[in-house]
Amino acid sequence: MEQQLPSLATAEPAASPKARIKQAYLDYVLRKGTPPPSVYRLTQKLNLPEQEFYRFYATFAAIDRELWADFGREARTAAAREPVWEQYGSREKLLGFYYTLLEILKRNRSYALQSLHRSLRGMPGLTPRVLDDFRQEFEVFVGEILREGRRTEEVASRPLVQEQYPRAFWQQMLFVLGFFAKDDTVNFERTDAAIEKAVTLSFDLVGRNTFDSALDLVRFLVRK
Amino acid sequence: MEESPKPLSSLPTSKVARAARFAKTGLNVGANYVKHYARRAVGAEAPTDALHAANAAELYGTLSEMKGSVLKVAQMLAMEKKLLPAAYADQFAQAQYQTPPLSGPLVVKAFRDAFGRSPFEVFEEFDINARQAASIGQVHWARGGGLTYAVKVQYPGVADSIRSDIRLVKPIALRVLGLSEDTVRPYLLEVETRLLEETDYALELQRGQEIAAQCATLPHLEFPRYYPALSSARILTMDWLPGQHLREFLATEPSSAVRNQLGQALWDFYMHQLNTLRRVHADPHPGNFLLRTDYGGTVAVLDFGCVKEIPADVHRLFTALLAPETLADPVRLAALLEEAGVVRPETDPAQRVFYVSTMHTSLELVGRPFRQAMFDFGDPAYMQALYALGDDLLQQPELRQQREPRGSEHFIYLNRTYVGLYALLTELRAHIQTGLR
Repeated sequence: MEQQLPSLATAEPAASPKARIKQAYLDYVLRKGTPPPSVYRLTQKLNLPEQEFYRFYATFAAIDRELWADFGREARTAAAREPVWEQYGSREKLLGFYYTLLEILKRNRSYALQSLHRSLRGMPGLTPRVLDDFRQEFEVFVGEILREGRRTEEVASRPLVQEQYPRAFWQQMLFVLGFFAKDDTVNFERTDAAIEKAVTLSFDLVGRNTFDSALDLVRFLVRK
Repeated sequence: MEESPKPLSSLPTSKVARAARFAKTGLNVGANYVKHYARRAVGAEAPTDALHAANAAELYGTLSEMKGSVLKVAQMLAMEKKLLPAAYADQFAQAQYQTPPLSGPLVVKAFRDAFGRSPFEVFEEFDINARQAASIGQVHWARGGGLTYAVKVQYPGVADSIRSDIRLVKPIALRVLGLSEDTVRPYLLEVETRLLEETDYALELQRGQEIAAQCATLPHLEFPRYYPALSSARILTMDWLPGQHLREFLATEPSSAVRNQLGQALWDFYMHQLNTLRRVHADPHPGNFLLRTDYGGTVAVLDFGCVKEIPADVHRLFTALLAPETLADPVRLAALLEEAGVVRPETDPAQRVFYVSTMHTSLELVGRPFRQAMFDFGDPAYMQALYALGDDLLQQPELRQQREPRGSEHFIYLNRTYVGLYALLTELRAHIQTGLR
């Protein structure tokens, strides 16, 4: 599969000024490896007044954030289109999302890798700004999946602790992205395996396990 | 016939269970080492012999528990038994790579990577729940265009994991076995090559088609058709064949005529491969055959992942060792053993006599089917003799102390083939026309 020009899953019609700005920015970054020197240069190329840009975005970084949020949204819709989606449990839904996201990132690999290499250099565990919008929607999505999992008892109900789950899963997402950025195997096969193993582990942890039994015993002993 | 096989968890000799057994052995062997070094640390006399005996006993227990009679036959065939210190050799030949099951989404992803479509688009119907574990993946059931398919899906990145695991394990294994890398290299290389070949589905497809075509004239055998258009490096699609695995099939109490015909079909299949094709399906594990009573007994052969090509000189040597004339002629036997690397010119005379006589006993027993026109694998006396000799061999201090690999690396998979075949025939209690005239 050759690198195609990234397709953007957006609500706007393709010819809208917003979509044109986004596409032009993406093209520039792909060609030059850096953001354009100024907003003026970009809008000039598009024959748009500079103010038009600021109607939609405050900075170039805002476009980057939106591009990542688009990846996440597209992955969720595409994964849910799979005919078996409804039969999937929570673990499989999350896996389905990761694998679809990986497909999308592979299609946009130049941009995605560039953006990750630029932003993941900071402290491990800290969310780069560029992923902020993506993270918020991801946490909502994981929250829903986990709620569903609690209903089917795939996920253990642990009041207090469970509010923190989406954040923990976000760390997993960062781990996956970091792995993807460093993976040099053909077709990112090791990333596939990493996702499979990481998700299995996380659902072993949030499912009913030793921890719950231990807690149960402690509660019993304390209560007298 | 049974079209709805059991789900993964209930496979009787599942690889998972086997892996668990091995894992336990690993722990115990490790513990023996701790004891050994602890004793040394306090200055006690702790001969390596004792350690090795403890480890071998541990392995021996595990192996016999897992494979029953198979182990005994292995010991008989074991000219290469002495290639590695007792019992370890089996573990090498049995080496199979274990992977965890694939999740539904990962199966879908494998299809998207290979064909750009999900399995539900590729087939009219696809069961996302695996029907069976395969050595490095799993088997799914699918239907489309009036045919039913078995679709093998491989775990991502297996070849890489095998390579890196061998790199990780090798130094530890050498330490445990007390061997130098130079002497073991050919054997390790042989096993690594076979394991890696198993990850190559394109190769398996090609070999499956070739061997099926070359065995088309043999009666009562059946091979699946392979579908290259529905296969890729990590997906292998073939016919879904009817039939039951050995244990389940035997539970239906088939008549002796059926059992004999099935056994004969297997025997002919293997002799044809060994002697005519010089390449052999080297994994006669019960999971790779499906049996049914049609036409008085039909065997379906699956899984050509592990195929051993036999070099001409190795074939000649192997055949010569099993030939009746060799047994009657000690000089000839010694010469052949020397050629096979079991006995070396520098071996001292006393040891030499010992090796030759041990091999003579082993070969007499193991080669017995080849010296009769008709052989009864159901005969309890034969199996008892094999058991007894196996135990004897394990008790031999000379063999236990053996530190140096002996024999040709090609024997590893040849032996595994014979071991597997004898075990299948024994379970079938088959009377075999050996083809001897």
